[in-house]
Amino acid sequence: MSTTLNVVTSQAYKYGFVTDIEADSVAPGLSEDVIRFISAKKGEPDWLLEFRLKAYRHWLTMAEPEWAKVEYPKPDFQKIVYYSAPKPKKPQYASLDEVDPELRRTFEKLGVPIHEQEALAGVAVDVVFDSVSVTTTYREKLAAVGIIFCSFSEAVKSHPDLVKKYLGSVVPSSDNFYAALNSAVFTDGSFVFIPKGVACPMDLSTYFRINNKESGQFERTLIIAEEGASVSYLEGCTAPQFDTNQLHAAVVELVALDDASIKYSTVQNWYAGDKDGKGGIFNFVTKRGLCKGKRSHISWTQVETGSAITWKYPSCVLLGDDSIGEFYSVALTNHKQQADTGTKMIHIGRNTKSTIVSKGISAGDSSNSYRGLVKVQPKAEGARNFSQCDSMLIGQSSSASTFPYIEVQNRSARVEHEATTSKIGEEQLLYFQQRGIPAEEAISMIINGFCKDVFRELPMEFAVEATKLLSLKLEGSVG
Amino acid sequence: MTSALAGSNLLADLLNGPRPAEWAPLREAAEQRLAGRELPTTSDEDWKYTDLKLLAGGFSPAPEATVDVAGHLLPEMVGTRQVFVNGRHAPHASCASAVPAGVRYFPMSHASEACHTLGSVGNGTAKGLFEDLNTARFQDGAVILVPKNLKVALPLHLLFITKAESPVAVFPRVLVVLERGAELELVEEHHGEGAYLSCPVVEIRVAEGAILRHERVQRESPEAFHLTSLKAEVGRGGQYHSRTLSFGARLSRQEPRVRLAEGADATLDGLALLDGAQVADTHSFLHHAEPGATSHQLHKCIVDGKARAVFNGQILVAKGAQGTDAQQQSRNLLLSEAARVDTKPQLEIYADDVKCSHGATVGQLDPEELFYLQSRGMNADDARNLLTYGFAADVLTHIPVASLRRSLRQLVMARTQAGSLGELS
Repeated sequence: MSTTLNVVTSQAYKYGFVTDIEADSVAPGLSEDVIRFISAKKGEPDWLLEFRLKAYRHWLTMAEPEWAKVEYPKPDFQKIVYYSAPKPKKPQYASLDEVDPELRRTFEKLGVPIHEQEALAGVAVDVVFDSVSVTTTYREKLAAVGIIFCSFSEAVKSHPDLVKKYLGSVVPSSDNFYAALNSAVFTDGSFVFIPKGVACPMDLSTYFRINNKESGQFERTLIIAEEGASVSYLEGCTAPQFDTNQLHAAVVELVALDDASIKYSTVQNWYAGDKDGKGGIFNFVTKRGLCKGKRSHISWTQVETGSAITWKYPSCVLLGDDSIGEFYSVALTNHKQQADTGTKMIHIGRNTKSTIVSKGISAGDSSNSYRGLVKVQPKAEGARNFSQCDSMLIGQSSSASTFPYIEVQNRSARVEHEATTSKIGEEQLLYFQQRGIPAEEAISMIINGFCKDVFRELPMEFAVEATKLLSLKLEGSVG
Repeated sequence: MTSALAGSNLLADLLNGPRPAEWAPLREAAEQRLAGRELPTTSDEDWKYTDLKLLAGGFSPAPEATVDVAGHLLPEMVGTRQVFVNGRHAPHASCASAVPAGVRYFPMSHASEACHTLGSVGNGTAKGLFEDLNTARFQDGAVILVPKNLKVALPLHLLFITKAESPVAVFPRVLVVLERGAELELVEEHHGEGAYLSCPVVEIRVAEGAILRHERVQRESPEAFHLTSLKAEVGRGGQYHSRTLSFGARLSRQEPRVRLAEGADATLDGLALLDGAQVADTHSFLHHAEPGATSHQLHKCIVDGKARAVFNGQILVAKGAQGTDAQQQSRNLLLSEAARVDTKPQLEIYADDVKCSHGATVGQLDPEELFYLQSRGMNADDARNLLTYGFAADVLTHIPVASLRRSLRQLVMARTQAGSLGELS
């Protein structure tokens, strides 16, 4: 450890950094001082600063993971700005008519409601849609049943005991390279707490999706469902999101106690870079749910269409007896995009069950990999897993890979894995066209059928948009 | 492995031993590649589930030995056998009198003409550590060359026997070349007694339209380590069908790597029957390098005791290999509390007009099937044994050599305690 400490101490001086609490942002680079600055700026308690520093010290000893089937220039962590105070966003346009027609066309195709289009494009929001009041209304409704739903920073201030109890309990700060980085420098995110016996009356974040945009590149989400509680949480949106930060390293932790159920849905459409693979977001996310209680249930649903590089494995640790983990995923890559995504199902408790349905679509020159682990530990009597991983290839220069790891140490387990590959070919399109269905619509229908098992797990309005999103992303790929 | 001292190094121990005189350039190149290399550990992805710590060292080059082969002979192949004992050709135990004229079938030590082919199969791809170790130190091996359009009626029998009084290392070597349109059936068996390390290397070249059927039986001693590398190149429209049956060895590893040219067809079936503390690892690589090739792989493991089965089956469909049809299945049966299976079928596809699928299952016998048999008056033990036997027999059904098929069925029956059920076909 002494070498590590040396690195730590020398780094602070190397960049000649002086802590300035009054500043709005820090100079690029990462050091213990930067972390202290972030923590002080956010008025955090000491234990949280310690959590961050511990994570940072561990991060220094770690190497960037190389095993995924993705290639990208390694980010320079000393060039990233780790804190800048959120500035109130100035409206860019007076009305929607001024917005880039290309962007508007995208919104229309996706079926995004007008007021959301305005908010997304940065149009001044008028009284018709006052996001602040909407937020407040719903928050009051939630508070009435005891649900806490707020930003992570707020939670640290108002519910420090809960945060302290659960933060890092699912994804330890030393878990992996990017999780450690996130633990050291995260700035904000979401916090959800559903108390015992409460079923959350609405899908969380649907109504907030245009408001929580300042969570930044190192987002931290923590969702806790107490005994018998249930919640459906939605993240992201179908509209294209542009971001100046290239590296995104989020951490999401879910904890479900006895009989609790958490459903987490994601639609991700971050900037994927241009056709030649220039630019685009690196999405390196650690998502994990802990089915801590008996009969608890965690379900991940994701539609991944954006980002230049995706490295993401939403997982379930099935600790409680009779707990259930699910993973439904559609990952679409086009042009030069690369995705290495999948899940881990760790069966520890008795009679635990997991289901994996993964649909990968690769077009253009992209590379799309499913990587998953199903592990049945010796005590997981009666564990059951079913995995279905299908790939669809569009065009001759894309690639699809499947890397399922299956580790079984209990004989009463039943584990099944299946994978197939298919394509959208000219023959299929001809078949549709013969029946008067134009190529674009045909593709949409084929894709829709291919992804049906996943889409039906999505909340309704997401499902409708997701279908359109996929056909939009594939425009011009076939025929 | 009493003499396997901590800190001793397998590679150094073996490479310090005498280097056979023949094939010098080949051996030098292998030694150069081995320089500075160490045994892989479980942090290497390719050895994640198989720990070679037991192999640390203490093996010395195998001395000459004699064995009685009578018990290993199969009636169909009495006149087509080449026997190797402790890595050396055993002329008195061998008999190739029934081999048709034109087929060249002799020990490698007599085979200068194989020189240009040996070590060249799979060139351009990385050489494995144990493959290089074999190349550096093999004593002898078998060469089989079948000329154009010759269809060999009788199966050929290769028998590798190791007899170890103290821990020794042997390096069996096989080179099979089938010229255009040739056909051959080959049975390759490995037996032994005592504690030893066997690192066979098999090189196969199947030319355009040729067909090779290859039965591989691993019945090493329970204290042995068996690490095989097999490389096969199958030409246009050629066929390579292999079946690897692993019964013995404390730790075994099969690494078949098959490259398929246009329209070629391959079968890569396997069965591992494990008990005690056995570990059997299969790392296969099927390379669909050109369009229109087909491949089928069915790999089955029956794991009892504290044994462990590992399967890592990679299928690569290269860019432009349109019309590929690749099907892979990994089926695993766990019979005991402490048994363990780690399986990882892998597909990597770079062409869009392909039919590829893989599947993996791990589980125990189906309670409904057990109930079905019991409802017809069979007792629970017999029902279990019959189903276990049936699971394995699937792979044995198509073995073309009747006597071998029978003897393996008996072996499986004995291992699955299905013998009490009488004659099963």
